[in-house]
Amino acid sequence: MIMAVGDTNNTSVPVRPKERFDFFHDERVRSVFYQVLTAGVVGWLAWYLISNTAHNLEVRGMNTGFGFLTATAGFDTDFKLIEYKPGIGTYGRIFLIGCLNTLLVSFFAIIASTFLGFFVGILRLSNNWLVARLALVFVEIVRNTPLLLQIIFWYVGVFAILPRVKNSLDLSGGAEVVFLNNRGLYMAWPVPGDLFWMTTTAFVAAVVGVFFLRRWAHKRQDQTGQQFPVVSASAALLILVPGAVYLVTGSPLEWDIPTLQGFNFKGGFSLPPAFLALLVSLTIYHAAHLAESVRAGILSVNKGQTEAALAIGLKPGRAMALVIIPQAMRAIVPPLISLWMNVVKNSSLAIAIGYSDVVALFMQTALNQAGYAVEMVAMTMAFYMFISLSISGLLNIYNKRVQLVER
Amino acid sequence: MAVLRAERTPARSAPLSETSVLGWLRKNLFSSWINIILTIVSIYIIYITVTGLWVWGVTDAVWVAKDRRDCFDISIDGACWAGVIVWLDNFFYGRYPRAELWRVNLGGLLLFLWMAPLWLPRVKDKIFIGLTTVFLYPFLAGYFFAGGDKGLFMQVMISLAIVALIGQTLHAIIGVSSGRGLPEYLIRLLGKEEASEARQRHTLLAILAGALVVAFVGQMGWSFVGVSWTKWGGMFLTLVISGIGIASALPLGIILALGRRSKLPVIRVLSTAFIELFRSVPLITVLFMATTMFPLFMPEGFVLNKLVQVIIAVCLFSGCYMAETVRAGLQAIPHGQYEAAHTVGLGYWGTMGLVVMPQALKHMIPNIVGSFIGLLKDTTLVSIIGLFDVLGMLRAVSQDIPWRGLHKEPLIFGAVLFFVICFAMSKYSRHLEVKLSAGDNR
Repeated sequence: MIMAVGDTNNTSVPVRPKERFDFFHDERVRSVFYQVLTAGVVGWLAWYLISNTAHNLEVRGMNTGFGFLTATAGFDTDFKLIEYKPGIGTYGRIFLIGCLNTLLVSFFAIIASTFLGFFVGILRLSNNWLVARLALVFVEIVRNTPLLLQIIFWYVGVFAILPRVKNSLDLSGGAEVVFLNNRGLYMAWPVPGDLFWMTTTAFVAAVVGVFFLRRWAHKRQDQTGQQFPVVSASAALLILVPGAVYLVTGSPLEWDIPTLQGFNFKGGFSLPPAFLALLVSLTIYHAAHLAESVRAGILSVNKGQTEAALAIGLKPGRAMALVIIPQAMRAIVPPLISLWMNVVKNSSLAIAIGYSDVVALFMQTALNQAGYAVEMVAMTMAFYMFISLSISGLLNIYNKRVQLVER
Repeated sequence: MAVLRAERTPARSAPLSETSVLGWLRKNLFSSWINIILTIVSIYIIYITVTGLWVWGVTDAVWVAKDRRDCFDISIDGACWAGVIVWLDNFFYGRYPRAELWRVNLGGLLLFLWMAPLWLPRVKDKIFIGLTTVFLYPFLAGYFFAGGDKGLFMQVMISLAIVALIGQTLHAIIGVSSGRGLPEYLIRLLGKEEASEARQRHTLLAILAGALVVAFVGQMGWSFVGVSWTKWGGMFLTLVISGIGIASALPLGIILALGRRSKLPVIRVLSTAFIELFRSVPLITVLFMATTMFPLFMPEGFVLNKLVQVIIAVCLFSGCYMAETVRAGLQAIPHGQYEAAHTVGLGYWGTMGLVVMPQALKHMIPNIVGSFIGLLKDTTLVSIIGLFDVLGMLRAVSQDIPWRGLHKEPLIFGAVLFFVICFAMSKYSRHLEVKLSAGDNR
C-alpha cells in the first residue's frame, strides 16, 4: 500500500481487500443454480410420467378428456340426495351424488363427534375417579384400534344383524314414525305446505332479531354495567315468533310417514345401514381423539386464571364460560379443525361397507364402468383438496383472530 | 402482652382423605350428590359391560368345534372362538407356505437383534446402527421373506447387511463389557495403537473388505425357496408395509421438510405443494391412484406388482405426514442454534446435519412412534384394494365355508391384537417423551 507523504492522520485505516467475485461460491449464483436444477428434475419427471401415460393410453385405446361427464351412466345407486335414474343420469351427476353423500355423512359426523368429544373430554377431567377412568378406557380402546376395523364391526356386527323389516324396532316409542331394521332407518319427513314460507321468513327474522339484541345488550352492559338475559330472550324469540306464525297460518306442514307396504317401508326419509354404521363409527372414533385435545386445552389454561376469575366475584359457571373456555379454545380449535378435515377424509372408508360416497361411487364403480382413470382420480382428489383447503382456510382466519397480541 | 405456650402442640394426623381407603373413596367417589349418582351409574355400566362380555366371551364361549354349526349346537349365545383358533395362523402369516414360516419369524427376530444395541446404554455410534436398520436390514429381511434367485445387487446388499449385523453385534458386546468400540478393540487386538491414524484406518478398511468378501462368498451357497408376494398376508404383511412405510418416510420427510423451510422459492413451493397434495386427500384415494395410474405412468412393458404399487403409495403418503412432524421438530429448535452454527463457520448442510437435525430428531422420536402407530392402523386400508393383510384375513373367515357368517369374533380378536400393539407402543412413546425431555426440564 502506498501512502501519501505527510498524510499522518490516516495511516492506520485498514483497507479492506476488494473481494474477488467467486462464481462457484456466490450465494445468488448457487441459489439460482439449485432452483433451476430442482425445477429441471421435477419438470423432466413430470414430462416423463405424462408422456408415458399418454403413450400407454394410446396403446390401450383408452378414451381421454372430460366428455364422459355428459355421457349417461348405466348403473344405479341405492342412496342419493338428488334425482337420478340409470340410463338417463350422467356421470357428472354421479360425481355430484357421490360428493353430496360424502358431505352428508361428514357433516353429521362432524357435529356429533364435536359434541361427544367435548363431553368425553370434560368427563376425563371429572373429580369422580371412576368416571374419569371410564372415559380414559373408552378413549384408549377407540384410539388404539383401526378405524376401518371399527367401521366394519359396526356394520356387520350391529347394523346388518338388526331385526328384519317385519319386526322393525320402533324408535319413537309406539308413535310409529321412526323405524330401525336391517334395511336401515326410516323416519317421518316434513312436507312443507303452501304457507310454510311465512314460518321460514319469521325464523330468519328472529335470527336477525337475536343478532341485534345481542349487540344492544353488549352496548348496554358496557355503558351501564347492567346485564341482560340474552340467552333466554334469544331462545324465546327463536321459538315463539316462528311458532306463532306457524300456528296462525294454520300449521302448513304435513308429515310423510313411512308405512309398511309389502316387503319394505314406503314414504318418509330413509338412511341405509351403511350410512348409520359409518356415522356411528366416525363419530366415536373422532370423538375419542377430540376428547384428548379438549382435555389438553382445558389443562393448558393456567390455574391462576380460575382463581383470579373467582376472586373478582364471578360464579364458577361464569368463570368457566367467560375466562377458562375462551382461553382453552385457542388450544382446542386448531386440533378441532384438523379433526374435521380427518372426518371428511376418513369418510372415504365408506367403500369398505358399500356406502355410495364419492370414492365408492365415482372412483370405483364409475371408473370400472367407463375407465377414464386419470380424469376420475384427479376429480376425486380435487374434491377432497377443495374441502381440505376450505377448512384449513377457515382455521387460518380463526388463528389470526385469536392470536395472542404480544405487547 | 404475649401469650406463650409451655409445650409444643401435638402434630395433627393427616386428613382422613389422604390416608384411609374409606377417606379416599369419600373424596373421589362420594363427595357430593351428583358424584354419588355418577358413581352408581358408572358402576352399573361397568357391571353390565364386564358381565356381558364375560358370559358371551368366556363362560358361554365355544373353544373347540369343527364348524360354525357345531358352535351353535354347543352354545347358541356364546362366542365361537373355535373359528378364530383354526384361523390363527392365517391371521398372522396369511397364506405363506407353512413349511417356511420359520423364515418370517427369524426375519422378525433379526430386527430385534439388529435394534437391541439401540437400547443398551453404553453402546456408541447409535446413529450408525439406526442407519443400517433403515438401509440394510430391509434387504436381508426381504430375502428371508421372498427368497428365490438373488441378483448381483441383492447379493451385495445381503453381504453388507450380514457384515453390518455381525459387526454391530460385536460392537455392542464390546461396548457393554469394556465401554470401547469395535474399531478401537480391533486396533488393540492387532497391537497397532502406536501406528499413525491413516495406517489404523487402512487396517480397519482392510478388515471390512475381508469381512465383506467372506460374507459374499458365504451367502452364495445359501438360498431359499421363492415365495410369491401373493402368498404374503396377515399381520406379517401389515407389518412389512407399515415398516417399509415408516422407514422410508423418515428420509423423505426430512428432505421435504427442509425443502419446505428452504429460502429458495422454487424448492419451497414445490415441496409445499407436494406435501399439501398428499395430506389433503384420503389414503384410500392415493391407493386407488397407485393401482390405477401407476401402470399408466410406467414405460410400456414395465409392470409393477400390486404390493410394490401399494408400498410406493404408502411411502409417499407417510413421507408427507412425516415431513410435517419433522417441520414441527425443526421449529422447536431456537433460532440461536442456527446463528451459533453460522458463527462457527458451518454452511447450510453443516448447520442442519451437525447442529439442528440431531436436536430436532430427539424432539421428534415420540411423534415418530406416534406416526408409526397411525400408519400401522392405516395399513388396514390395503384390504380394500384386495391385499390380504390382517384385516383382509379377519374378514375372509366369514367367507370360509365351515365358518360362513362368522364376523364378530375375528374382528374382536383383531381389535384386541391391534390394541395390544398400539397401546404398548403409545405407552412407550410417552415414556420416551418424559425420558428425552428430562434434560430440558431441569
